[in-house]
Order: sequence, then structure tokens, then C-alpha cells
Amino acid sequence: MEPSRAPDCHGGPLARQLVAPLLRREAVGSTHHVLTFELDRPLEAEPGQFAMVRGAAWGSSPFLPRPMSLLEAGKTPSILVKVVGEGTRRLATASPGELFTFHAPLGRGWSPCPADRTPVLVAGGVGVCPLLFLARSLASLGREPIALYGGRTACELPLDGALGRVAELRIATEDGSSGETGLVTRLLEQVLRDTNGRVKAFVCGPRRMMAAVAGMCRDAGALCEVSLEAVMGCGFGACLGCAVPRAGGGYLYACSQGPCVDGFAVDWGR
Amino acid sequence: MACDPRVTLGPLVLRNPVLTASGTFGYGLEFEPYFDVASLGGICTKGLSLLPRVGNPPPRLCETASGMLNAIGLANVGVDAFCADKLPHLRARGITVIANLFATSVEDFAALARRLESEEGIAALEVNISCPNVDKGGIAFGVDPVMAATVTAAVKKASRRPVWIKLSPEAGRIAEIACACEEAGADALCAINTIRGLAVDPETWEPRLANRTGGLSGPAIKPIALRMVWEVARAVKIPVVGIGGIASADDAIEFLLVGASAVQVGSASFRDPCAPREVLEGMLRYGERRGMNLRDLVGKARL
Repeated sequence: MEPSRAPDCHGGPLARQLVAPLLRREAVGSTHHVLTFELDRPLEAEPGQFAMVRGAAWGSSPFLPRPMSLLEAGKTPSILVKVVGEGTRRLATASPGELFTFHAPLGRGWSPCPADRTPVLVAGGVGVCPLLFLARSLASLGREPIALYGGRTACELPLDGALGRVAELRIATEDGSSGETGLVTRLLEQVLRDTNGRVKAFVCGPRRMMAAVAGMCRDAGALCEVSLEAVMGCGFGACLGCAVPRAGGGYLYACSQGPCVDGFAVDWGR
Repeated sequence: MACDPRVTLGPLVLRNPVLTASGTFGYGLEFEPYFDVASLGGICTKGLSLLPRVGNPPPRLCETASGMLNAIGLANVGVDAFCADKLPHLRARGITVIANLFATSVEDFAALARRLESEEGIAALEVNISCPNVDKGGIAFGVDPVMAATVTAAVKKASRRPVWIKLSPEAGRIAEIACACEEAGADALCAINTIRGLAVDPETWEPRLANRTGGLSGPAIKPIALRMVWEVARAVKIPVVGIGGIASADDAIEFLLVGASAVQVGSASFRDPCAPREVLEGMLRYGERRGMNLRDLVGKARL
């Protein structure tokens, strides 16, 4: 069965917040970490959904939980962390046994890939997380996804090995330290040409990359879904902090209407 | 020992003193998966305006030490959609609803109150004269006693319901505004709204919020809120609802001790959707341990 959309009701009926210990933390390269938590019962989550994670001992600062895309669901769900600030620094230095509030599954995951379209996963850096989850799910359904993975250098391609095991992996780095030299969009050009646009792109990475990919997909007649990133307060539709400009005016909310949304529904220019 | 959690706010009896602050609890329904929202004293809705508002451009939020800045810009579905799509569910679940109102003119505040007159299931109106994040209205009414009184009187005249006025911490003398609202007929006062703050990214030199300034909330503002609630409660005879950085039962009890009859849990609900319930349960344990009714704690601080 293809992954189906989460119900349209905020956190969804399955969302719950619980306190869970960190089971293990594995460094991935020099700048990323995979954190695995141990739950009392399995987390039923779809690729593309996320968790709000916060150290139980953080006190009043950092005040908010951090929205983290899920890498795996189940009894020992995991997330991929890149240090960008105080919250992620604490996550990246946490020890096994440390307690966290773990609020999941939240948001809408990836929608299905039509049978007549090749799934093409376009990842930038830490954006690989929801795409590796998706690639594993697609592979288990017998689909053969193509994964295009870009970063500035080879160091910024965490979990490339894992991705290569479940997808046909093509890499681009800006400094040429791995794969083709240049941006990931160069790889996409090739795929769109070879397939005559009969693909569905699943995209997660820096905003400029997602904007460029959405534009290329539109021009080529390809489908395009993106996973939005935004600063979040709550993660379940209450604070309205995670607004993203919507095509045609107004805003989309990354937590409750996303994070996975139609790439053409976003106003990338605002 | 038994603890009676009920509190009286003017003409209104609430099942307990724990409410949720406007803008931090959506329309209440977002929290239904997490706990029985009807068990709270009440919820204050997201600020309702006559017409829907899309809100401010992003980024709208940023975290700060022990709190956060927000400039959501009163994004809301508008009063008609609230009445059609949200209120029936809230009513069916037995949730005590305080409708928070936002407008940019006295006439529009009155029109909002009138619009809700025919709707069942609203316990009180909370008038926001203190939003720091919109160009017009909001805080302009909250820093001038004459304007504050004018809005209060207009909403009172337009509605049979209890009218609460949510005060701004930016009024030079908050007690003066409080007294003006009381004289104009307010049934209760809520204090405080967020305090305007600013944060800048040292790498990009850009403000962290697109609106540049935003309202500071969270534990960082609790001492300021306590001081202001104390000042307001001393100045008026009507009940005061304390707001500002409440994240635990002890925080809430402090507010009762300085004179608040009830409290609102705000941004704490973002980091833990069950925060209001936990504040309530902790307060009940406190009351039982001391053999006291929660209302008997009001104003008991030795100040």
C-alpha cells in the first residue's frame, strides 16, 4: 500500500506527547547525528511526518521544542540532527538515557507517488531525513526511486550510504568532492530530460533549492511535492507561527497543512 | 482535605481558575487530542476580528532566553467562520468559551460584540486593547485611559455578556487604565499581554521577525506580570485574571496570591499541549494539601 495522507486535523488522532529516553546517538560525519529514542509502544508515522522534541531537563531555556523530521517510526524512532543553534547543539550532545519529550507524529507526510510516475527524491543536506524514510517505504512497496542528493561538499551528505541502498543515488557537490560538480538541479535536469517529465519529485532542502526544483518541475510537466521548513512554536496548528507564503496569497502553515505540500502551492518569490 | 476549585469572576462562576491565553490555544479544538479541554475553567479564543485576517509575513516567531517573541498579526478565521465552524464543536463539548475580540475602531469592537449576541455558548468577551503586533488598534486603546474606557463602555452597551478587558503592560500606569475600565463597566481585567521586544541575527544583521518587533512571552516575563497584576488588583474591586509566563501550578498560585482570581496559561501550551491541565492538577493538589479552596488564596501574599 502507498503511504496515505495524515487526516486533516492538526496533530492528527495518533499524535501524542510522551517522555522517552534517548536510546543512542550516532555521529554521522563530523556535523550530523542520528538520535534514536525508545518508546513504550510503536510510533505509527508516515514518511514526511515530524516530531517536536525537547529535553525534559532543559528547564525554561531553550523554551520551545524543536521540530524534527522523522527518519524512522516504530518502537525506536529516530531523527537526524544538524547543529544550527542551542537546541540542536543540546540534542547533538545528549547521552543515552537522557529523557526527552517526544511529540509525534505531527503534520502531513508525503502523498503517494502515482503508479505511472517515477519517484525522484531531491535532497539537500539535512533534508535527506524525510526522503530516506520515504525511499525505504517506496522500496518496500517495490518502487525504484531515483535519489538526487546535493551539498556544498562531501561532508554535507549525511546518510548517503543508506540512501544508496534503497534508491538509485546520484550525487552533486559544489566543490566536486563527491559526484558531479555543481548543484543538485543539474542532476534533475538530466532526469527530467530522460523521463520526459514523467516523474514526481519529492523535495527537501534549502528554500532556494526547493524553489528551483519546483520551477523546473512545473516547466517539465512533472509533479512536485516539497517538505517545508519553518520555525515552529507548537507543531500542531495552535500558534500560527510557521506561516509560509501561499501561491495566490495568504499563508500555508507548515505544521498542520504541511510539512509536505504541493510544490506549486507555495509562493517561492515572497 | 477537600478543595473547592470554583472561582467567581463577577457574574460568572468558573469550574476552576485555569484558563488559556488568547493566541496560544487556537480555537481550543487543536488541543482536543491531548486532554479534556472542558475540564479547564475556560479557553480564550484566538483573537476574532469582523473579517478574516491572514496575519503577518514570516518569520513570525523566534525563541529568546526563557521565552519567545511573536508577531503573528492576529491571523484568524473571522467572527463569522468562528461561529459557523468552531463554536458549535466547542459548545457540544461543554467547553467554557471566552471570545477574544480584536478591532481597529470602537465601532468595530461594538459590532463584534453585537455579532456574538445571538450565539449560544459564549461565557464572556475578552477585549484585546493590547496587541503589540498590528499597525492600528490594539495597543493604541490600551495605553490611553480615555480610549480604554470608551472601548469598554461601547462593548458593554453592545453585549449582555460579561466583558473582560485585556490590559497592556506598556501603559505607563497600568492601574490608571484598570480604573478607567472598571468605571466604564468592565466585569474583569486580564493582565498582561506580551511586552514588545526585538531580536537581531548577528550574522545577517536582519531582525529575527519580519515585523521587526514582537511580543515577548514565556517565563521571562513572569516577574513583570506579577508586579502588574498586583498593582491592578490593588487598584480595582473587580476580579483580575493573571497572565504572563505561567508554566506550572506554583506560577499560577503566585498570581492568585498577588490578587488574581484566575489565570491564563499562555506559551507554555506550545511546548506542552497538556500544560493547562498540568497547572490545574498541580493547583488542586496544592489546595488539597493545605485544605484550602483555590479562591481563598486570592490576594494572600504578604505584600
